[in-house]
Amino acid sequence: MSDITPIWHVIKGQAVRGNALEHGSGKNRFGSPELNLNELIWPRQEPGPAFDVPLSQIMDILEELARWIEKDPDGVMVEALEQSVKLSTLPRDVLARSFAYLPHVFNRRSMEFQVETELGGADVLDGWRTVSDTPSGRTHRIRAFPPRLVHIVAGNAPGVSAQTVMRGALSKGVHLLKIPSNDLFTATAILRGLAAVAPNHPLTHSFSAVYWRGGDQKVESMLFRPQFFDKLVAWGGEGALRSAKNYIGPGFELVAFDPKTSISLIGREAFENEQTLSEVADRAAADATVMNQQACVSSRFQFVEGTAEQVDRFCALLQQRLGVERPTTSAVGNPLPADLREEIDGLKGMDPFYRVWGKNDGAGIVVRSDEPVDFHPDGRVVNVVGVKDLSDAVRFANVATQTVGIYPSARKTELRNILASMGTQRVVELGNAGSIEAGISHDGFFPLMRFMRWVNDEG
Amino acid sequence: MTSARQQLLEMINQPNEAYAQDPALINPLRLQAAQELFEERRKQIPLVENRAQEAGIDRIRTFDDLVPLLFAHTVYKSYPPSFIEQGRWDRMLQWLNTLSVSDVTNVDISKVTNVDEWIDTLWASGHKVLATSGSSGKCSFLNHSLQDSENKKRHFKYTVGWPFIQSTPTHTVFWLAPLKGPNSAIEAGNFNAENWGRPGSVFALYKQEVKISEVSHMASMRKKMAEGTATPDEIEAFQLNAKAKGQAGQEEFMELVDALLDRRHEPLFISGMWAQHMAIIERARQRGIGDGEFHSQTVMNAGGGVKGISLPEDYKEQVARFYGNVITPGAYGMTEMAQLNPRCEAGRYHAAPGMIWLVLDKDGERLLTEKDAVNGLVEGRFGFLDLLYEGRWGGLITGDKVTLDFHTTCACGRPGPTLLDNITRFAQAGEDDHIGCAGTIDSYIRGELNA
Repeated sequence: MSDITPIWHVIKGQAVRGNALEHGSGKNRFGSPELNLNELIWPRQEPGPAFDVPLSQIMDILEELARWIEKDPDGVMVEALEQSVKLSTLPRDVLARSFAYLPHVFNRRSMEFQVETELGGADVLDGWRTVSDTPSGRTHRIRAFPPRLVHIVAGNAPGVSAQTVMRGALSKGVHLLKIPSNDLFTATAILRGLAAVAPNHPLTHSFSAVYWRGGDQKVESMLFRPQFFDKLVAWGGEGALRSAKNYIGPGFELVAFDPKTSISLIGREAFENEQTLSEVADRAAADATVMNQQACVSSRFQFVEGTAEQVDRFCALLQQRLGVERPTTSAVGNPLPADLREEIDGLKGMDPFYRVWGKNDGAGIVVRSDEPVDFHPDGRVVNVVGVKDLSDAVRFANVATQTVGIYPSARKTELRNILASMGTQRVVELGNAGSIEAGISHDGFFPLMRFMRWVNDEG
Repeated sequence: MTSARQQLLEMINQPNEAYAQDPALINPLRLQAAQELFEERRKQIPLVENRAQEAGIDRIRTFDDLVPLLFAHTVYKSYPPSFIEQGRWDRMLQWLNTLSVSDVTNVDISKVTNVDEWIDTLWASGHKVLATSGSSGKCSFLNHSLQDSENKKRHFKYTVGWPFIQSTPTHTVFWLAPLKGPNSAIEAGNFNAENWGRPGSVFALYKQEVKISEVSHMASMRKKMAEGTATPDEIEAFQLNAKAKGQAGQEEFMELVDALLDRRHEPLFISGMWAQHMAIIERARQRGIGDGEFHSQTVMNAGGGVKGISLPEDYKEQVARFYGNVITPGAYGMTEMAQLNPRCEAGRYHAAPGMIWLVLDKDGERLLTEKDAVNGLVEGRFGFLDLLYEGRWGGLITGDKVTLDFHTTCACGRPGPTLLDNITRFAQAGEDDHIGCAGTIDSYIRGELNA
């Protein structure tokens, strides 16, 4: 029993820890407290606890929460970090820097910006906004009404849990978070912080975070009902989405942050001189290794406009820069999973068709080919493909392509429309893939706006 | 072929002695054969030389020296898929050449229009390329020579059935699969038909032929669907075609099943997948045929993946009960291997003299030894050097997780080491219920592509 790490559950402000249920296998085993499904719902017959709390008060609490996370007076965050190190796929230094970043998610300026851009202001959250000058001549009132949401949270970056709490709080609704097995401690640590800075506050009573195995019918078939929740907010995870699909129907809507892949397009300008090339290779490496390449924004395929010799030169420099420590990147990552290793080993020595730079030492590997490889580069692996013109690379973008990093920035203009047409949701200057601005669209929609229930009082 | 290799491979002619060789006597000979083979192949196959240089291996002094020279099984499908899509058969030859002993670049491919013709042309020129029809849609291509094929047939002759029965052409063969096409299962089917089948008494799915172009068509269709360039009409036509083929195959299979049940009192050689055996049982029940009605000299082989097929939990027991007192041999083999490893009376796999097992750590980097074993047992990744091949390099690392027993004597009384009958694939680590925002286009492709 002693080798099983117990995780916390937080239920409407009450934190419990336990080992009653066992999950995972091998050294990834962990225990969780017993689940009481009755505790996980908020009856519709009564308004959610925070439905009528003014937004400014919520933001005050969130700012307080940010300070609590930073100062960590009770050692909760440190404990969560230590436990995460044991069970996460991310290394300690990346986790530590990601945890240190969490308070920034609750930055007031950023929260106000989101309310402004996504909802048009706090008035529609705090009350009913008048809509006049309508074609019919009637005067209406609309409200961004607080929703009842289940969140299937992604575990590949601790920031996702913080964002979920932040957006959820701004919505004033009630929120059940399903903890991912690859980030078992962040969400509950943040919610324990909320309970500490706002004990017995309605906002604290609006959140629960518990673990069940994704797809567990016993739990999901009971909870995923329109009688209890309005929407399911799912962050990728193919298994999670496949199971969620069974429950989506009238009155229970899916808000999907779909699983995504990202790429880079590097123009011939990169080869202007050696210094530029080094800088471009560094930017390309930075985009590839965001969250050690576990994120949707992490670049996996890089299309380079150049001769075979130039492309190879870029590959060598890129590989050298993959093993550089950055805010969400460690110098050395995990060894590659067996299937990926097998794929790459099969290409070694297969000149002139392929060339491989780097070893399986966790620093990173670059594979050069004439067309994209048919496996999914992951775990700090980049596939570099030479093209005559960047427009030749556009056909490799599709609806699963989230971010396209482009060098030089000026060439975004010529490429953005056709990339959007192919399905891409975001073009950035190469090197900025990891810088996400909350308040503009994400995965092609405005998250906070999608969270809300838009209700009318019509004149 | 060198003397040591020749000597080891010839031993199979006396299988009972071959599988009872003392490793202390045979291992030095294996090492010598491996060194001779390495010396020859490094001059012929650039990738062997490349690996040798990278690892600083100039001579095979110990079995450890072979480890860096083992190829990943993925090397045989490392060609860029566009070569096939765009019909660049010359480039495909160049690629195959980097993995072949004799030069294939002079094969005349001027009349080749699809991948089946590419393979046919190679066969006609003495390069018996075998293809795997991988579930991903991308095929592996493994060259071997006419002589390899002959030697492999001999190995099958003395190994399939061992130690329970030796093959003689006295059985009625039911091969519940096609016998035409360039893959290793079909090659094995033909060997078995020749080694076991009475002339005129070989039953198989003759109306079916494995065509690699269909597999690659499936792959390119999948790609087009991912890119969104496949039109709704194209997708519908593809699906209808796959369905029609499936139905035609089912009808022929049921005819075969009836023929098999009619002959159940004769000595048969039957080979099929678990799901096929379950279908045979179902048909037998319809016809009022009970358990245990088969001839005691019938040889029954069952295998194949059961993933994605709904079978009752006790399917193995049901099949065993149905056939009753028949001979059920087993062997561990794969496309990349010529000399498959037979299973003894004690349920352990044994290696032929010309087969060098190299059980490695899970990363495939280090040869495991008795020091790694607990109670003589060690779990690892299976690698091997098959000394038989003249057409290509026979050294490979697989994705199979095996348990090697170092004990010098097997429960069957023959010398060890042996492999336990518990071979599985290495599972992907830590994928338990992980949720991430990163993913691939595969999640967006709807529809059934598997025919």
